[in-house]
Amino acid sequence: MSGNVNNGITKYTSIITEKFGEHVESISEANMNELHVTLKQLGNSPKICEFIYSKFHARLSTMVCSDERRVDGGGYTLRYVFSMGDDDNDVFIVVTAKVDPRNPSFPSIALQIPAAFLYEREIKDMFGLTPQGNPDMRPLILHEEWPSGVFPLRMDFDISTKIPRVHKEYQFIKVEGEGVCEIPVGPVHAGIIEPGHFRFSILGEHIVNLETRLFYTHKGVEKLAENRSLEEVLLLAERISGDESVANSTAYCQAVEKIAQSSLPKRAEQLRVVYAEMERIYNHLGTLAGISTDVGYAYGSARLNILKERMMRLNEAVTGSRLLFGVNRIGGVTVDVSDEVSRTVIDTVNDVQQDFEAIIALLRTKSSFIDRLRKTGVIPRKAAKELGIVGVAARCAGLDIDVRHDHPYAAYSEIRIDQQHDSPRNITKYRIEMQKRVGDALSRFEVRVEEIKDSMSIIGKVLRNLSEGEIYTSILQENLKPYRHALGYAESHRGETMHWLMLGEKKRITRYKVRTASFSNWPIIEQAVLNDIIPDFPLVNKSLDLSYSGNDL
Amino acid sequence: MIRNILKKGISAKSSRDILSSKVETIRNLLGDTSVIPPNYRGSVAFTKPIPQMITDDIASALTDVCATRALSVETTAGDAGIALDRSKCILCGRCKEIAPDLIAIGNWFSPSVKRRQEMIVTSSVQGQLTEKSVEETGIELKIRLRRTLGRSLAVREVDAGSCNGCEVEITALNNPYYDIERFGIHFVASPRHADVLLVTGPASSNMEIALQRTYKATPEPKIVIAIGACACSGGLFGDTYATTGGVDKVVPVDVYVPGCPPRPQALLSGLLLAVDKLPSKSESRISEEMKK
Repeated sequence: MSGNVNNGITKYTSIITEKFGEHVESISEANMNELHVTLKQLGNSPKICEFIYSKFHARLSTMVCSDERRVDGGGYTLRYVFSMGDDDNDVFIVVTAKVDPRNPSFPSIALQIPAAFLYEREIKDMFGLTPQGNPDMRPLILHEEWPSGVFPLRMDFDISTKIPRVHKEYQFIKVEGEGVCEIPVGPVHAGIIEPGHFRFSILGEHIVNLETRLFYTHKGVEKLAENRSLEEVLLLAERISGDESVANSTAYCQAVEKIAQSSLPKRAEQLRVVYAEMERIYNHLGTLAGISTDVGYAYGSARLNILKERMMRLNEAVTGSRLLFGVNRIGGVTVDVSDEVSRTVIDTVNDVQQDFEAIIALLRTKSSFIDRLRKTGVIPRKAAKELGIVGVAARCAGLDIDVRHDHPYAAYSEIRIDQQHDSPRNITKYRIEMQKRVGDALSRFEVRVEEIKDSMSIIGKVLRNLSEGEIYTSILQENLKPYRHALGYAESHRGETMHWLMLGEKKRITRYKVRTASFSNWPIIEQAVLNDIIPDFPLVNKSLDLSYSGNDL
Repeated sequence: MIRNILKKGISAKSSRDILSSKVETIRNLLGDTSVIPPNYRGSVAFTKPIPQMITDDIASALTDVCATRALSVETTAGDAGIALDRSKCILCGRCKEIAPDLIAIGNWFSPSVKRRQEMIVTSSVQGQLTEKSVEETGIELKIRLRRTLGRSLAVREVDAGSCNGCEVEITALNNPYYDIERFGIHFVASPRHADVLLVTGPASSNMEIALQRTYKATPEPKIVIAIGACACSGGLFGDTYATTGGVDKVVPVDVYVPGCPPRPQALLSGLLLAVDKLPSKSESRISEEMKK
């Protein structure tokens, strides 16, 4: 959580009040770093959103719709969550507007803020609210075989309803011209990966257009959370995407802890950092191994997979789960580390680091390896910015986005994520370094290598300076009042994961909106592969390391 | 005995390799593959015979705390007991926190089974199962494969909506630690080349048709293995508008491997059980063709 006085919020409050005072019903602070701007009329939302987006250099972090027809005031509520990118301000601006249930539509902001286009289609599918002006109205989550008029996230929809299938065709974008062919791939792929459909239009070997069709693994996570107890939803949060369990459960627990206005013991926050970084290391190692496989360099992938397995064994030895399931609990963590365990962790990580640096040094000398990565799958910086890309995908294109230092949580406020941030001179150096990153697979490779080293040093630092004390605290139950809400967030190995939680009666959940990094980053792959050749697609896909389950929910 | 013979074969082969490539492959990288840390949450078991020991309060507390409804109250002949459905259990360990003297979390994994009913454990003491190491299971697999198929086993993995936890573990089977190709099992890129389908996930509605088609594309005799709690029963995702509630609702399942996710050893033991089923399946296939 952030410091006590948030200067940023005051600044933004005065600017917004001055400019849009007449349109704003209320403007208020909440949960230390959220500024809620409630609008009188839905029609003004595009104007204000665009102002915040362009004037404050903000990023659309998530867009939440909730069915609050039963709550006072009635209607559906739209919340546009912006993350401030201007200075070092730890502020989220949440623009809130009500949608009248008699007129279930809202003005689209997708043309001004392209990052919004998928959120709007999602809201259309799940709530039945039409985004007026969104150029793409095709179904997204509920595939073509779903009948129209089914809106799963409305409160009056029963989760156990079985929907009959209808026969319809999905309209892929057609590319026409002499010599243009289409290749359909998926949803069942050749490797051991998750399902999704890719439609390539190719000219010779070159990709002219790629359309991704996802949501095959949609299993109703957000609906399942409705009316469940806080403890049960924690289990669900861990299984949003199995390999991101720590990041997602941290974000979820954080949202609950913010609603309860409870702060955690120091040791709990530090251990959350340790587990989060352990998760990042084993996943990044897996991705680097995958890149090596897709390049066709089996030796590199074997060596890196050995390191991944060693890290997973360490996970298990420390927490009892190879995937770090069950380490978080509301109010802290479940697993403590003794001095002996902490020494084992530091030693193992050191060993792994030595081997890691050796294999990376070797990979860098292999021109056939580096050449495949260089200028492959280039993410243009402009597109990355417009589409709201997060995590490694953004950082490889020179966008400095990392929740760990943009909106510090757990014990991250005390840890410099990148040591180069320390002095003004180093910041300049760091910025120049960022400018050099060109968004290709090689940049992503290098970013991941650096992040693994960073995570290793963070683990060492935190474990050497662990505070004494409890590893969890009971949260203040009396603050868990109906219809209170909060944002929870974390930086997974894929990027920013954003959770929004609203409580209902009897300390149960009414709305749980999850947006993982994969949801933000999937659209960029369609841009990144353009003009690459088909055989490079697996490599580009792996270097972006996107989760299907985390996207489809 | 058999192991020694096999070992001899391998070492003779590897010395040839060493001569040709000047690289010695380390045979067992792990040192000891069978070591499972004591705090690994592998299995839930009752420590006492249940019916006479349980009060209504504890029974209802236990069924309430279980998010997947794996624990349920069962009344048999007037005795109220409690039953555990291992196919639903995601091993969160919360039941143990409520009744530590009644429930134990073991660091052994639950066995794979051929019928889902076999996973329901009622009112009985569950002792520790003897666990074979990866090496032992793998070598047994290799021998049985040689006997039944006379060749290696082709496996196709199908994700029918998993959270990707199971995929992480299945991928691990290919890493140099486990390296299951040395036991004659390899992952293939198409169902048309496969003997076995490894299916994960609660079979989401959006994947239902794709899963059916993959099953149809697999040549007979085929074996389907449901991997993980979701595939076995729907798990935490249950049976909703978006899921079908388990792979066996969509295609016939031959072997169930419980766990969330099952560790690589458990996956291997599931494959071992599947290979058992192959001869009877191919016989019935032949007799069917004879009739035609």
